[in-house]
Amino acid sequence: MTLEEAIPLIVGHSMQPRVFPIFLMAVIAVLNVALIFQIVRSPVSRRDWEPIQTWASAGLLLLFFLLAKYIDTLVALVIVMFMMSIVWGERRIWVAAILALGTTAFIFFSFDQILQVRFPRGLLTDAYYG
Amino acid sequence: MLTDALGAMFSVLGDPSLLLLIFITTIGGVIIGALPGLGATTGAALLLPFTLTMDPVHAITVLTTIYVSATFAGSITAILINTPGTAAAAATCLDGYPLAQRGEAGRALGIAVVASTIGGIFSVVVLAIAAPLLARVAYEFRPPEYFALTIFGLAMLASISQGGAIRNLMGGVFGVWLATIGADATTGVERFMFGNYDLYEGLNFIPVLVGLFAISELLVQSTTLNQVFERISMKAVKLPTMADYRKIWKAVLRSCGIGTFIGILPAEGATVASMIGYSEAKRWSKTPEEFGKGAVEGVAGAEAANNAATGGAMVPTLVLGIPGSGTTAVILVGLLVHGLRPGPHLFTEQIEKVYAIFGAMFVANVMFFILGLFAAKLFARVTLVPRGMLWPVVLAFSVLGAYSLDQAMVDVYIALIFGVIGYLFRRFGFALAPVAIGLILGEMVETNLQNSLKMFDGQWWMIPMQPLAALFLVLAVLGISQPYILGYLSRRKAAQQQK
Repeated sequence: MTLEEAIPLIVGHSMQPRVFPIFLMAVIAVLNVALIFQIVRSPVSRRDWEPIQTWASAGLLLLFFLLAKYIDTLVALVIVMFMMSIVWGERRIWVAAILALGTTAFIFFSFDQILQVRFPRGLLTDAYYG
Repeated sequence: MLTDALGAMFSVLGDPSLLLLIFITTIGGVIIGALPGLGATTGAALLLPFTLTMDPVHAITVLTTIYVSATFAGSITAILINTPGTAAAAATCLDGYPLAQRGEAGRALGIAVVASTIGGIFSVVVLAIAAPLLARVAYEFRPPEYFALTIFGLAMLASISQGGAIRNLMGGVFGVWLATIGADATTGVERFMFGNYDLYEGLNFIPVLVGLFAISELLVQSTTLNQVFERISMKAVKLPTMADYRKIWKAVLRSCGIGTFIGILPAEGATVASMIGYSEAKRWSKTPEEFGKGAVEGVAGAEAANNAATGGAMVPTLVLGIPGSGTTAVILVGLLVHGLRPGPHLFTEQIEKVYAIFGAMFVANVMFFILGLFAAKLFARVTLVPRGMLWPVVLAFSVLGAYSLDQAMVDVYIALIFGVIGYLFRRFGFALAPVAIGLILGEMVETNLQNSLKMFDGQWWMIPMQPLAALFLVLAVLGISQPYILGYLSRRKAAQQQK
């Protein structure tokens, strides 16, 4: 289809579904150019790289996604909470373990029993729900 | 009808379950507000999914109580450890911490509590009077007026202090673009779904807000784990003396008006209000040289303004469906989820519920006054909780909150993705409130533009020819250009002073 054959942007009384998103992307592009000019005029100071804990925390979010998708959401939550406490400086392994297990158990039972929310199927929930 | 509404407002006092809910939520809100990094917006975003099973009045009461109590509570850590618990308390650090350093932390907190309460109650009274009046005006609004009003709301993002005008506008437009994801409401054409039918109805607000505010804050907190807070001890909170009242009463009254007005403007909110309240307190003070060294007027001006903005921000949120701040953007989502569609009809068909919410906000202001006077020292101790224990719990509640909406894991994954996006936004100097406001206004912008074009047979130039629409569009232009005009004027003034 050529440009001439393409459906006009405003047809009859209204506009095509693609018009508004295209307009928004054009506005973002213009603002981007303005931002580049602003930064060239007043350069931003050099930023340091993120500390290792931030990369590790982002990695733990990815790990949560993988564990929740392929194993079990609750298992993912326990593991990621525990590892996050350790990465963030908690030296008492037993405290991190109790926090991860206790919080997850509290959330699971309060959601399941009080709010009647069913958790997604996985290793543990298959055994619990049957 | 007015008598029924006022009856509903006062009926809050006779409902023990609601009073207990307000009390518990006020404690939660003070804890959330006192913890650096959490704040009213993140707290409301985290709690929103857990209100889904509540009665609408109770649910909105939870969200508004978190809003008012967390806004006050940011002053606790601002005064005691020179780190604002919320962005709205940043101005309080300037004079609150110096007061604490010279042994007057109790006095500073007492002034903050009193000023916040007066500001909050003043704005609730204005809200109860102004909102129904504005609703009557809003009955005259048609699609062109609503379209121009949403453009004005988005344009005001330019003047939010965090981020800078261009970045804030980019964030707002990005948020509006996010709202186009999914099937077009009119034609059913799929947009930006990339074959994923989980996105057919677009992005759910709650997972996006949880990701943007809570999960991104988790990543931000991970960058400052080595930061040590110098803590100042305090014996007890002291009510201001008569001499203090004589010093601060003008600043408090002025800031009540400033904060309420700023709150009513779309997208501004408590942070902008507190900074303007502080600077006006300094400008009108007889002793401006004391500011920055422990001026009680500085604490009073900032705190009265930020809590006054809470009621003001609810006016456009309830009447027009345009958030007055980042937190009211979350509250707006709560209203929609609970069937309280903002707009003039809310004030005719469900006015008792609206006034019950006003009554609950009034009670919440009184509750945090009492808790602030007697328990601020206790709440300050929450900052001793190691972040390695606190933030994994926040992650757990974020995940559960995102999941509980539709019980779909795709919402959890969306929250995680927006957590990373939110972190990157903040890393490169973009504020997040504009994205949230843009996302919520996005559908309103497009729908009203579509309906306006239908009204005028595709002649889009008829939109700015409607008087009210033209007014809002002119205000939008002023809103976008305001940072540049003010910058030019201040540079000219500085150049003249140098001469």
